[in-house]
Amino acid sequence: MDTNRDCDRFESADQMALLARLSRLVVTNPSVDDVLQQILNDAIQACGAVRGFLAIVDHDRGELDVRYTAGDGWTEEKRIDRLKISEETGRGITSLVAATARPYRSGNVLTDQHYIRAFDDVRSEIAVPLVDAAKRTRGVMNVESTEYDAFDDKCERLLLALADLATIALTMADHRARESALVEIGKELNRFTDTDELLQRVIDVASEALRFEDCSLFLIDVVTDKLVLRASRGPLAKKIGQATYEIGEGLTGWTAKHGVPVRVSDPASDPRWKGRFEEIPASEAGAYMAVPIKIHRGVIGVIRVQRKKSPYKWLPNDFTDEDERMLSTIAAQLGIALDNRRLVDQLVKAERMAAWGEMSARSAHMIGNRVFAIKGDINELEYLLKQENVEPEKALELMESIKKGIFLLEEILNEFREFVKATQLELEDADLNELVKQAVEEGFPKRSATKLTLNLAPNLPKIKADPKKLKRCFTEIIENSINFQPEGGEITISTSRADARSKRWLRPTQQSSEYVQVRFEDTGPGIDLDKKPKIFNPFYSTRAKGMGLGLSIVKGIVEAHNGVIYENGKPGKGARFTILLPRAKESSTKKHQKIEGETN
Amino acid sequence: MCKILVIDDEDAVRTAVKRRLERDGYTVHTAESQAEGLKLISSQNPPYDVVVTDMVMESPTSGLEVLQAALSADVFSEVIVLTAYGNVANAVDCMKRGAFDYVEKNIPGVDVFELLSMKVRQALERRRASVATIRKMKQYETGSD
Repeated sequence: MDTNRDCDRFESADQMALLARLSRLVVTNPSVDDVLQQILNDAIQACGAVRGFLAIVDHDRGELDVRYTAGDGWTEEKRIDRLKISEETGRGITSLVAATARPYRSGNVLTDQHYIRAFDDVRSEIAVPLVDAAKRTRGVMNVESTEYDAFDDKCERLLLALADLATIALTMADHRARESALVEIGKELNRFTDTDELLQRVIDVASEALRFEDCSLFLIDVVTDKLVLRASRGPLAKKIGQATYEIGEGLTGWTAKHGVPVRVSDPASDPRWKGRFEEIPASEAGAYMAVPIKIHRGVIGVIRVQRKKSPYKWLPNDFTDEDERMLSTIAAQLGIALDNRRLVDQLVKAERMAAWGEMSARSAHMIGNRVFAIKGDINELEYLLKQENVEPEKALELMESIKKGIFLLEEILNEFREFVKATQLELEDADLNELVKQAVEEGFPKRSATKLTLNLAPNLPKIKADPKKLKRCFTEIIENSINFQPEGGEITISTSRADARSKRWLRPTQQSSEYVQVRFEDTGPGIDLDKKPKIFNPFYSTRAKGMGLGLSIVKGIVEAHNGVIYENGKPGKGARFTILLPRAKESSTKKHQKIEGETN
Repeated sequence: MCKILVIDDEDAVRTAVKRRLERDGYTVHTAESQAEGLKLISSQNPPYDVVVTDMVMESPTSGLEVLQAALSADVFSEVIVLTAYGNVANAVDCMKRGAFDYVEKNIPGVDVFELLSMKVRQALERRRASVATIRKMKQYETGSD
């Protein structure tokens, strides 16, 4: 190392003090804008310049962007003019410095072939590059004077030191952005109950914080064994759910097949490249990176990011090691979150499958008995009609019995249908209070010995609901309550935002979301402690109608809404049912979302 | 007159079976559970000639328990087990243990009540034959003494 030169570099105590002060600023001030502006201001002052600017490379667009200016004569117009100059390929001192990554000094700009006039009073100029550890040009600092030969070696060395500080500030800002993006994504993973919303949110956060302008997320569909686009930023967003890749097809499919990241600077020239569904036309396609989403049982998807080709050869916008680490971290976190979700879903499904099995057996038994009885009536009717003296009253009596038997069959059929359809919802934005009012209107008898009280909290957030099905839940509970209080009693229905106490009934993945609740309290006999665990099982009902699927259907419907139902009344004092439902997402635009239950 | 017990937890089933068997001239009692059926069997004197019982009531093997009770009350009682269509495993088990036969409740295209009527008639015939045989044996034994 040339120690003499290093000593030369700090020839005055003033310059030492300046560097020390700015270094401190870089460390302490989290605002990269403040820091870079201050560095530029000090650079002008220290070099005795009249004005200057700091242009930052925009790696996504592959352009130089005059972001900070200092000194006399700057207007927005001038700044944009300056930007245009820097865009001209091969011309202009700023472009030259950016391209060569070396400082450039012009003692007399009037005779300099690289100089493009922006201010009339400029006579000399110096420009230094901001180069990071990966040897990438991050920007150019440009300082100008109204004097000829205003800038010497000392000045150049000082400016280079300041440019390094500016680069450190930029790099630190990048790291901070990445760190907070990772933290943000970590928080988001448990917030959304809807998987597609979660995926889109992860893509959005990643794109904003990491400057991946085009970012798409594919998950492997276990049925078709294809990669299906599940979330995207940019033009491909229109093809969510439609764009697919075979495993092994294209770069995206290759990543899924081999379970390792792919990073190429010119994807169109890669033999694996397929060029289907690309966010950017093949001719413009630049840096490409794809990382697998892996869990213990293998690859479940791919996240891929793309940039446009840089218009400048000197300005590579390839993805860095840092970028790959970042995206891989996001993919790993997402993989764990998705796997957790799958396990929870499986659990819910298993529960429902068990209910299904029980229901099938039970309904076969009940239908069998009903049909048996009807056949008995028909047998008797046949016998009767063969007699010499047919007694019409007896025949009619049998007909009546047959009719009744068929009605009962239809009721069973109806319940069967409701049970099956409980998880198939036609969702729309709905007002819980309104649904409760309608359910009362439809389900509460006009003349009843039971006294009804409604306590509806105003200004509740909207919910995503299938109004018909949810009202069915409410009327079922109301009807139960009335049936259990034949001598009359009270029913109180109240709505509110869900409190912490009732939210304890939610699954862990649901707890961070906002919920509203509706509670049905009565003064009937309540539910015995030993019966409480069973009341939501199919066929538990003590009512004669249908198969007794009542509360199990209610449970199915509520759970399909991502909600929860529980009963915690005091036995002997009355029943207390509470239904919790998640609030509708404000950004949600999907009008009718069909949630398929396990109907096959 | 022949005495028959019908055990089934479905009211409509009991009513229909009782009505059909009464048409054939039998005295028909009904019970709505295994427990009630067992009580009637043990308290009946003379015992039931035929017991028609549902297979699945309080437990999946209710029919078996009714069978055992009926046979221990009178070894010549005949038991016919009603089963769900296509679920004959338990019914076959009953046959091995001495049931007269089983009848599936929902055989497509078959008038199960006529079938049941026929089975009851056959069961009674077997019972009569068995009782007659025993009587003859006893006569023979006493005659030879």
